[in-house]
Amino acid sequence: MAKYGFLIDASRCIDCRACLVACSVENNVPMKSTRIWIKDSGVTGEFPNLERYTAPFHCMHCIDPSCVSACTVGALQKNEDGIITYDNEACIGCRYCMYACPFEVPHFEWSKQFALITKCDLCVSRLAEGQKEPACAATCPTDAIQFGSRGDMLAMAHERIRSQPERYVEHIFGEHENGGTSTFYISPVSFDQLGFPTAETTDSPAHFNRIATEEGTPIIAAGAAIGMTGIYLALEHNGKKQAVRKTEHAEDKHDTAGKE
Amino acid sequence: MTKTISRRDFLKLGAASVGAFAVGQMLPPMVAKAAKESGLINAAGNGYISTMCEMCVWRCGVIAKIVEGRVVKLDGNPEHPHSRGNLCPRGQSGLMNTYDPDRVLTPLIRVGKRGEGKFRQASWEEALDLVASKMTEIKTKYGAEAMVFSSTHNLSQPLFENLLYAFGSPNYGTQRSLCFNAMIVANTMTYGMEEPARIYDDKLKYILLTGRNLFEAISTSETSDLSRAIDRGAKVVYLDPRYTKTASKATEWLPIKPGNDLAFHLALLNVIIGEKLYNRAFVEKNTIGFDELKKEVSKYTPDWAAPLTGIPAETITRIAHEFADAAPHALAHNGWRTSNFINSFHTQRAITILNALIGNWDVVLTEAGGEESGKLGAPSQPPYPRVSALRLDGVPWKYPVVPFKIGVFQEMRDNIVSGEPYQAHGWFISRQNPVMSLPDREKTLKAFAKLDFIVTVDIILNDTAWFSDVVLPEASYLERYDPLLPFGDKAFLRQPVIEPQGEAKSALWIYKQLGERLGLGDYFQYTDEEDYLRQQLAPLGVSLEEVKTKGYAESPETPHAGESAEKSWNTPSGKIELFSDTLAKVGFSGVPTWEEPPQPAEDQFYLLTGKVAQSTQFGTQNNQLLNKYSDEPRMWINTQVAAKLDLATDDWVEVTSEVGQIHIPVLVTQAIRSDCVFMTPGYGHLSKGLTTAFGIGASDSVLHVTYTDPISGGQALSQTFVTVKKVDDASSAETLKPLYLGE
Amino acid sequence: MALNIKVKSIKVLEGLPRFVYILAVIAALGMSAGLYRLYAGLNDTTNLSTVFPWGLWISFDLTNVAFSGAAFTLSMLVYIFHMHDLHAAVRPTVLFGLLGYSSVLVILFFDLGRWDRFWHFLVYPNLSSALFEVSWCIAIYSGILTFEFLPIILDKFKNAKISKFVEKITVGMVIAGITLSSMHQSSLGSLFVIQIHRLHPLWYSMMQPEFFLVSSMAAGISTIIIGSYVSIWMFKQTLSEKIIEKLGSFVPWIFGLYLLMKLGDLILGSKLELLFTSGILSVLYVAELLLTLAAIIWFSIKKLRSTRKNAVNGALIIAAGIVLNRFDVTWFAMKSLDGSFYFPSLIEIALVVGVACGLIVVYSLAAHFLPVFSETLPVKDLPSSELEVLQLTQPVAGD
Repeated sequence: MAKYGFLIDASRCIDCRACLVACSVENNVPMKSTRIWIKDSGVTGEFPNLERYTAPFHCMHCIDPSCVSACTVGALQKNEDGIITYDNEACIGCRYCMYACPFEVPHFEWSKQFALITKCDLCVSRLAEGQKEPACAATCPTDAIQFGSRGDMLAMAHERIRSQPERYVEHIFGEHENGGTSTFYISPVSFDQLGFPTAETTDSPAHFNRIATEEGTPIIAAGAAIGMTGIYLALEHNGKKQAVRKTEHAEDKHDTAGKE
Repeated sequence: MTKTISRRDFLKLGAASVGAFAVGQMLPPMVAKAAKESGLINAAGNGYISTMCEMCVWRCGVIAKIVEGRVVKLDGNPEHPHSRGNLCPRGQSGLMNTYDPDRVLTPLIRVGKRGEGKFRQASWEEALDLVASKMTEIKTKYGAEAMVFSSTHNLSQPLFENLLYAFGSPNYGTQRSLCFNAMIVANTMTYGMEEPARIYDDKLKYILLTGRNLFEAISTSETSDLSRAIDRGAKVVYLDPRYTKTASKATEWLPIKPGNDLAFHLALLNVIIGEKLYNRAFVEKNTIGFDELKKEVSKYTPDWAAPLTGIPAETITRIAHEFADAAPHALAHNGWRTSNFINSFHTQRAITILNALIGNWDVVLTEAGGEESGKLGAPSQPPYPRVSALRLDGVPWKYPVVPFKIGVFQEMRDNIVSGEPYQAHGWFISRQNPVMSLPDREKTLKAFAKLDFIVTVDIILNDTAWFSDVVLPEASYLERYDPLLPFGDKAFLRQPVIEPQGEAKSALWIYKQLGERLGLGDYFQYTDEEDYLRQQLAPLGVSLEEVKTKGYAESPETPHAGESAEKSWNTPSGKIELFSDTLAKVGFSGVPTWEEPPQPAEDQFYLLTGKVAQSTQFGTQNNQLLNKYSDEPRMWINTQVAAKLDLATDDWVEVTSEVGQIHIPVLVTQAIRSDCVFMTPGYGHLSKGLTTAFGIGASDSVLHVTYTDPISGGQALSQTFVTVKKVDDASSAETLKPLYLGE
Repeated sequence: MALNIKVKSIKVLEGLPRFVYILAVIAALGMSAGLYRLYAGLNDTTNLSTVFPWGLWISFDLTNVAFSGAAFTLSMLVYIFHMHDLHAAVRPTVLFGLLGYSSVLVILFFDLGRWDRFWHFLVYPNLSSALFEVSWCIAIYSGILTFEFLPIILDKFKNAKISKFVEKITVGMVIAGITLSSMHQSSLGSLFVIQIHRLHPLWYSMMQPEFFLVSSMAAGISTIIIGSYVSIWMFKQTLSEKIIEKLGSFVPWIFGLYLLMKLGDLILGSKLELLFTSGILSVLYVAELLLTLAAIIWFSIKKLRSTRKNAVNGALIIAAGIVLNRFDVTWFAMKSLDGSFYFPSLIEIALVVGVACGLIVVYSLAAHFLPVFSETLPVKDLPSSELEVLQLTQPVAGD
């Protein structure tokens, strides 16, 4: 179902931030919010043996997104192209998605009176207009961000690592993390060094969430309802039995008394 | 209608701050009439229009998206060779320049003192009449030369030049001596052209960059080319006292001691010539002066250069070998801002010669399709009047080999102050900010004080406009036509994507209006911008409508000689001049020669300045979109040095040079030599009309001392030495916080 | 009261204890803080940020819900388990539950970015979202609590027909209430199942729903016991030691199960090592376990649970453990994206304090106008030995 994908190459990113500006303009992002930011390793090493790497970061468009699973009002949805869209008409600003997302993606309009979440939506409206790429990929002067079909981007990632092994660490971030995403990163240094969130390569947390909410809660509810009803009826019945016995005992006494 | 407005009222001219609204939302929609008539914009006010960026001089082709009469997005034009579909962050932010709430939208006439910021709005009639009358007054009283004209080169330059030359003044200031005089004059001496074009093809395997921080001083297509070259495995050797973004991508970064690029390159020449690694056939056939060169460089051994540059001799030798090995697919990049040290001219000569020695002409370097190529028409005009007055900038009487068209801007300013050889009385400035760009800001303001009349054409109340007597509002680049820009086999169009806001007008209109009032109407023989463009297009036989739709006209280049043809260069000898007689005749060294650069004292630092990708020079700091993603303008200082001075990042320091002093917070970093400090230029604005930029950072031009290279006229920006002292108080200047990180 | 405030009280409010007025003022101040937050936005009024989006308000809400579990726990004991001897506690507890959940909703209202859209959960569903389910549950459960509160109102405004109807469906409503409570108490735990990257592994567990559910019952019991003590001073009403003792007797079983579940979680989740290597968080987690164990031991000792003061101290141990646990899960054990430590702003604290005071004010007003304490034990009826212990040998002087 994931049609699109990104390949972001930290060895090519020059931290010019054209992508950041382009995104802000394309999506009318408020001045104090951002949907894309730069992950920076900072200058490491000691003069003159220095290193520095950067990479732009935005929504990973996970295959089984945590945010979509968690959103209280379903404002975050995965559309048929695999894009995680955001409905700013539904959102109530509860910020649960900020906790659900392991990639620290949803940002919030903290300064506004009526504050909403803001998140990369893969320039879904721009693509719908017929443009080939989202704003960030379209503008990048060094092709650090590339965009295309998910399969192509993943294949390109593998190919680049294969053909220049001295240039990249052997890991494609986003391939398996959080259950698999549509954004693939390759980098000359470990992703820890770039300051990437360490999302485990596991089943998606959304999967576990669904177990808890779609299986766990119904079981608890059924257990409570059935259990409480059962106990009530049993004790009611027992109580009636005891009352009957009491009455019978009293009647016996009465009878016995009468017989004397 | 004249209404006195206070600074506060004035600041409200542009309406509320952008934070609450979408960009441009608070200003009325302005559907470009011309675009509508051409069918580029539909009835609803929507469409895509092809034009050109002006956020820097690279002028990428841009496709503007218009929705209901507002520009909502800019994208790189895939068909423009400078953008190739991409835009840098400044290009992307361009619509914020147009929608900046601080835009000047009516002519302004000063009512308070200069620098108070008290202006009143005036009609164009009144303002233009006033300017014309003042200029005429100065001409009558003191001679046309008493009126100084300056402009940073832009597409309307031919008409600006008309104004000044037709007026009869010799005094033409451009920004070039603050930037690339050394490079241009060196190239002119060597190749007979200002700047050859560079070819980044698949075969290019070695690139030697001297400065030219291409990944921060972005020229979109060339930045992209360099990146691709690295991707392909080309080796990039990069000289810079700072670990810039380019350093982080380069194969090898050499933290060279400032001022000694010359020593490095002379040593390269020494090795390449000494070990006979040069392309003998090419040199014999196409160059002159080899023997003189050989003699000169024989003493510049790598061992000699090592202690001067701080680079080991083995490294220098190895690089010379690598460079020559890669020939002819090797490039010694001239760089761009080459106004660093007085010896920068010779550095540039050495670099151009390096390329010549390995014979990479027509492989890596070739003749640029300059702005004069192509067969564009022009309105007829009479010849310019003869001018006998001396130029204030010393060309050519003090600077014999500096071309007239580039001049020595800082010298012109100095002589406005000195009054020698005569006192200037007026200054006409267009699309330029000399108050911020010239070294030694105090001195520039002193120059202003000497003048009776200052008029500035600008889109916003930049510092120079702030101190002027009249401000004429130019339409921003998204709102106007400019003359066509020839590039290769095309001529590109800039056209309005929205109608100008307020009363703003194009430079073509302003210059013509002014010209007519000065009696110079014959030099502006076009009725309006479209008429001008039609006259330009006439020889090409293509209609303006067609060009508006495509964004360019096809303009066949003068066919230029391929590799097989007899090569010739526009030098006196017709060959590549390793030895320049022109230089020798006026008493300079005909070959690159060593000139010892000055050094800072024990307690001083080289003051370095350079580009960042999120701003252009001194004019974009008010752009809120760029501010949003900019780093705080702190002063870089080396970690070890900071420890000695008890400095941590965000501590404040007092920085003092011979001519000025600033307060600024520091960034403690490993990414700079211990004898250097670095500032991002362009901050510390004085104009309160820049409501976003005012109060942020400090100005480098306050500190820069004026040093001029006698050969190329280039300012030596890195020759300013400063002391740095920790101070406790944070001073009044705020620091810029990258807004998105605060949320 | 030491303060000599001459409050010109309206006749109908005569007899209302003085502290209520003071708390009302504090509540008003708290509400102003809240209104200011609505005006100025969260950035200027709270210390919440992208690195730590939930703070004191959410911690307070979850803690409040746990303690408000007193209502479902008590109704379960009384109506399902037929422990009618505990009936005296029902009205005050139901009132507390109703007000407790109301204050949760009030605080939540101020926490939402789009507080004007608080009703959206009614029309925008997401069945897999724990928060969606919690919203619905609490909404319906509030209705049930209101229903359970009806008898108190009906007592005052008598209507035989409605009273009979209410009596008939009470058990059904109670079962529904227990079901809904089980659902939302556990779903508040489910809230954290997806937060595997934010919540420290010592606390993170797929059993979080069950942890919250079980502990809420013990929390509920502590609410009733502590509440009965506090009302001695506030309303001159309390519960008999017999009731308190019986309630306390369930604690070892509830907390016993809880402790076993926690230990099982530590072992099965291979987390024992973390118990010793997580620095301050180890301390907090172990503290929770120790408080739980202490409560189990305390309430196992008959003497301790059958004496009022001792029982209250034991209840405080339970309460401390619950507060610590909810605050750990929502705050202390939550990862801040940049490692900085979140601490609430003055306005955040003011709102919480204000709402808590408001809760007490409304409670007092309800108690003043309605027969909330119709079945409880008036202080003056306490045996003298108890009065001595409470240092109340003289009848409590009127205000």
